[in-house]
Amino acid sequence: MKLAIDETRCKGCNLCTKVCPYKIFREGKKLNRKGVAVPELDRPERCTNCRLRNLYGRQLCGVCQLTCPDQAIHWIEEEPYEPHKVAIEY
Amino acid sequence: MSFEDWYRQDRLPHIYCAGCGNGTIINCTLAAVDSMGWKKEETVFVSGIGCSSRAPGYILTDSLHTTHGRALAFATGVKMAKPDLHVVVFTGDGDLAAIGGNHFIHACRRNIDMTVVCMNNQIYGMTGGQGSPTTPLKCLSSTTPYGCAEPPFDLCELATAAGANYVARWTSYHVKELEKAVKAGLETPGFSFIEALVQCPTAFGRRNKFRQVMDHVEFLKTHSLLRAKRDRLLEQGQPLPEDMFVVGELTKRNRPAMGVKR
Repeated sequence: MKLAIDETRCKGCNLCTKVCPYKIFREGKKLNRKGVAVPELDRPERCTNCRLRNLYGRQLCGVCQLTCPDQAIHWIEEEPYEPHKVAIEY
Repeated sequence: MSFEDWYRQDRLPHIYCAGCGNGTIINCTLAAVDSMGWKKEETVFVSGIGCSSRAPGYILTDSLHTTHGRALAFATGVKMAKPDLHVVVFTGDGDLAAIGGNHFIHACRRNIDMTVVCMNNQIYGMTGGQGSPTTPLKCLSSTTPYGCAEPPFDLCELATAAGANYVARWTSYHVKELEKAVKAGLETPGFSFIEALVQCPTAFGRRNKFRQVMDHVEFLKTHSLLRAKRDRLLEQGQPLPEDMFVVGELTKRNRPAMGVKR
């Protein structure tokens, strides 16, 4: 699973930066098209739900998703890792 | 299925201000409703007028957006006409305590089988920040510019005294606890009342030294006194802190209820 912020919904209240136990969300600096500083993700692979959801088969933690007043935080399924063939030019 | 499926995705993002706690309360309520396993056709959300009462417009079920303060009266009608429906009422403090106060105590007295989630932002947010019956003492609002001089309502005590079966209070910081409280309220036959204190950065926080959203949430977090701790303090005969409010499951009893699904 992968953590994602929906930029069309986020209003930049930065509540998620305070509630995450891992401090994954950081206050954003750059304004997007709507003039909102969307929080940045700091090493999102540390998120409990990202790591263990498929193993446990249920929602874990999820405080940021419940707290987000604008329903902007969600998890997306990641495609399984595929080894790429790299052509090396000599 | 998660609570995200209960939202009308085409209506989002909603019109609440940045940092408004109402969205959090809707999330928690929908997560609880979702965990009950109810069908969308059998659930009705009712609301009155106000910021909080815009909530059913964003939910993918049948909903009623009624006149100011009369949400509980309409919900009573829904429940009496079709006892098989699950009725959840979203309401605000100005809606429930001020103009709809009488409907509230009589719905508690009749103990109708419904769940009421009150988003208490301690002010009339939508109309410009007038003082409401739950504005705390010495708080500024546009109608109390020298500080509120009237003592506020304690809605949970009121519901308990009037006879509700389940009464709980949480804040927008305690999301998991609030979800559990709403779930317990949905499971309880009879009237369940859950008061959720929310931050209002635009109308309340701006005038009361909570300019940043997080300041107000921090205030809610640090000034909430758990019920168990309150009981312990009372047992030891120590005085309760003046500026704190009690959170937790305050009442759970089994009075005969009305309109319970057979």
